[in-house]
Order: sequence, then C-alpha cells, then structure tokens
Amino acid sequence: MSDMALRAAAPGGPLDGLHVDLDVFDGPFDLLVTLILRDEVDIWEIHVSRIVAEYILRLAESEEFDLEATSHFIVLVAALLELKSRRLLDAGSPFVDELAELDEEAAGEELLETLLRFARFKGAAGRLGVLFAEHAGRLYRTVPVPQRFTRAASAGPALPPVALARALGVLLAEPPAPDVSHITDIAVTLVAELRRLRDLLAADESFTFSAVAPRDRLEKAVTFFALLELHNSGEVSLCQSRPFAEITVTRTGPLGPRDGRSDDALAAVG
Amino acid sequence: MIDTVRRLEAVIFISPRPVPTDELIAACDEPAEAVEAGLAALAAEYAGERHGIELAQVAGGYVLRVARDCEAAVERFAGARRPDDLSPALLETLAVVAYLQPTTRAEVAQVRGVSSEWALTSLVERGLAEERGRADTPGAPILYATSARFLQLFGLRALTDLDDLDAFTLSAAETDELRARLLSNAERRRP
Repeated sequence: MSDMALRAAAPGGPLDGLHVDLDVFDGPFDLLVTLILRDEVDIWEIHVSRIVAEYILRLAESEEFDLEATSHFIVLVAALLELKSRRLLDAGSPFVDELAELDEEAAGEELLETLLRFARFKGAAGRLGVLFAEHAGRLYRTVPVPQRFTRAASAGPALPPVALARALGVLLAEPPAPDVSHITDIAVTLVAELRRLRDLLAADESFTFSAVAPRDRLEKAVTFFALLELHNSGEVSLCQSRPFAEITVTRTGPLGPRDGRSDDALAAVG
Repeated sequence: MIDTVRRLEAVIFISPRPVPTDELIAACDEPAEAVEAGLAALAAEYAGERHGIELAQVAGGYVLRVARDCEAAVERFAGARRPDDLSPALLETLAVVAYLQPTTRAEVAQVRGVSSEWALTSLVERGLAEERGRADTPGAPILYATSARFLQLFGLRALTDLDDLDAFTLSAAETDELRARLLSNAERRRP
C-alpha cells in the first residue's frame, strides 16, 4: 500500500469522515484500512465494490467535487484491490509466509487440528440434515389471530402517583457539585507579569528566562507568553542557542507603560 | 381441570406461533402446576389417532400441527409444500451458526475454510438465520444466530435440544486415518 494511500486515509486526510457500512465492518474508512493493514479485518471479506458505491453516493450528495480527495480515493481503492488480488493468488500473502515459517510436521498437525474441528461441525450438519428431513414438512397453523381477538397495546400495569413522583424526584434532584479542589487558580495574570518583567528590565538590561520564571508550570507559561509580547512590541530580544536551551532576554528598546493601562486587551486574556 | 384443558386448547389453536408456557399460564390465569397438568392431558388427548391434529412442543412453546397421516390431504387442499432441501454447504454453515451463535461471517469462514457469504445470505433469506446485533470487536462485524423458524423446521424445542458437539468428534481410528491420508498426500507432493 502506497504512502499516498495511507496519507489519504489518515485522520484529517481527504477521506477522513467517509463512513462504510459493510457486513464485517461498520465504521470510518480510515479505521477499516488500518485494521486491514494490521490483519484484524480480513480483506477477503471486504467488498471493495461496496466501498466504491458508498463513495460515489457521497460524491453525488456533495455539492462540490474535490479532485484531490477523489484522486486519493482511487489510489487507495487500487491499493486495496492489489492487496486483495495478491492474497487471492497467494503471492506475497502473509499467510504463505507464516506457513513457510512452520516446519512440515507442525504445519501438518495444524491442518489436522483444523480438519478435526471442521469434522465435528460436518457431523452436526449431518444430524441437522436428518432432523430437517424428518420435521421440515410438518404443517403448522400459520393464519394470524383474528382481528376481534387481538388486544389493544397495553400501557402495562398502572403505577401509583407516588411511584411517578419518586422517579421524577431522582431526575429533578440537583446533582452533587463536582470536586474541583485539584484545580488551582493561576496566581499571576499576563498584565501583572508584563509589569513585573518591565520592572526587571528597567533595573537590569539582560537576564535569563529561568532566573525570572516562577516555579509553577502554568505560571511559567504566562511568563513566557509575556516575554513573547515584549518581543513583539520590540522591547526585548530573545536569544536561545539551541532548542530547549536557556533563553536570554535583553532589553532592546524603550519599555512600555508599567502601570498596565495600555495592556487592556491583554487583560482579557490574562 | 377440564375447563383448563379446553382453554389451553383454544389459546394454542388460535395462535399462529408456538405459545410459551408462561404465556399460557397468563392467558388461562391458572397456577403453573394446573397448566402443566392440562398440557399433559391435552397432549394425551391428541396423541391417539382420533384427531387430524396433534400437540407439539417446538421453538420454545406449544403448537397444534397436522398429524403425519393427514398431511397429504392438507397439502392437496392448501397446496402446501415442504421447504426446499438444504445443500450440504448450507447445512454446514447452519451447524456452525447454531453451535457458535452469535457468530460472525469471518468465524464461520474460519471453521469451514471457505468464504461463507452466499451460504449465510441464503440462510437469512430462508428465515433460518438472522442478524443479532454487532460484535464488540474491531470493525463491529454483524453477528448471526439461528431463528425460531430454525427450531420449528428442525423439530427442536430449544437450542439445548441440539446434540452435544463433542458427540461428533472423530474417533481415534478415524483421526489416525485422516492423519495417514494427510501424510500420504504430503509424500506424493514432495518434489
């Protein structure tokens, strides 16, 4: 199966969302392809023509023609057909490879086990054949119950009003408040952090990120976001020698207001 | 007692399907023991050769059916004909479904060693097998099971009436013979 075909069927790919409803599989097309590749769904059992029919129906219902998605679909279906034909011809089949790995004696024993299992069902089929011959011709009454004897659909046994009230009470009761004790408030806001960083830059023209970042992971993110804002406004330059290395912050221009008045828009975010 | 028997007869007569015992108890509004005794009396009444119908227990309930020796007359009257015979492939597939139910098409094919799509479709069309939801496995394949019609056509009261599958296990001698045949075939094909 080509990489192109796999990309087409991948989540987010052009065929994402195509739903197939087959006898052996009901679900998204990309999952079907994944399962076939993992040998969890036997491609012998898949009717590629049904998949094509479903896709054509979807195309007919769609208002626009997506050339890229359709091209990917054709590539994918061709790959499925190739895989299926290969397995039918036993060339390159994983089953053939598996058999090749078995030694002759083990393969013989496995075949014998399969035949012995089948023989039990074949014996049961023979018995069913005898039962069918004996009983299938029996004649039973097949006429429906006359209309005047059929009863109207019953609403079931009547329940006292108290039972209804009790059942509704459960539905109307206020559910217990979820436990949010594990969620903590962010101690710093973006505006406050901008103000703090500007104060620090006023005192010292250069410092490292780790020197000024708080310990809390979320607060660290706020500090980083504030630094990006300062960089955008041209107040600082940020320097990092390699990914994940220390970030050095250096003042490059005049600092913005430190009372936070011009950061109203950010206040909403912070 | 006679009243119970008559009421049981009336309910079973009017029903187009086998009536389970609990439905007979509810319809007659009698205790279970009385209904069971009534059913036994009814069966005895129809067991003789005085009636053209007989009481049968199939597909999980009681039903009246035409007595064997009267079938020809009914067939001439109503044009009734017995269902078409089942081929060995259909019987094999039905056996796998009956013993492994609910089962998937892939499982049936695995046991039989050949694709069983046509056979399963044919069994569903004949009303002997039916879809029974989907498996909770990757791809959610359709599950198949036998139907009430299967029980009726094969004269079974319930699935528990099926012979134990182990009863069809090949004997040691048959297994040895099969092994010898496989070895002989392998020898012949050896280059």
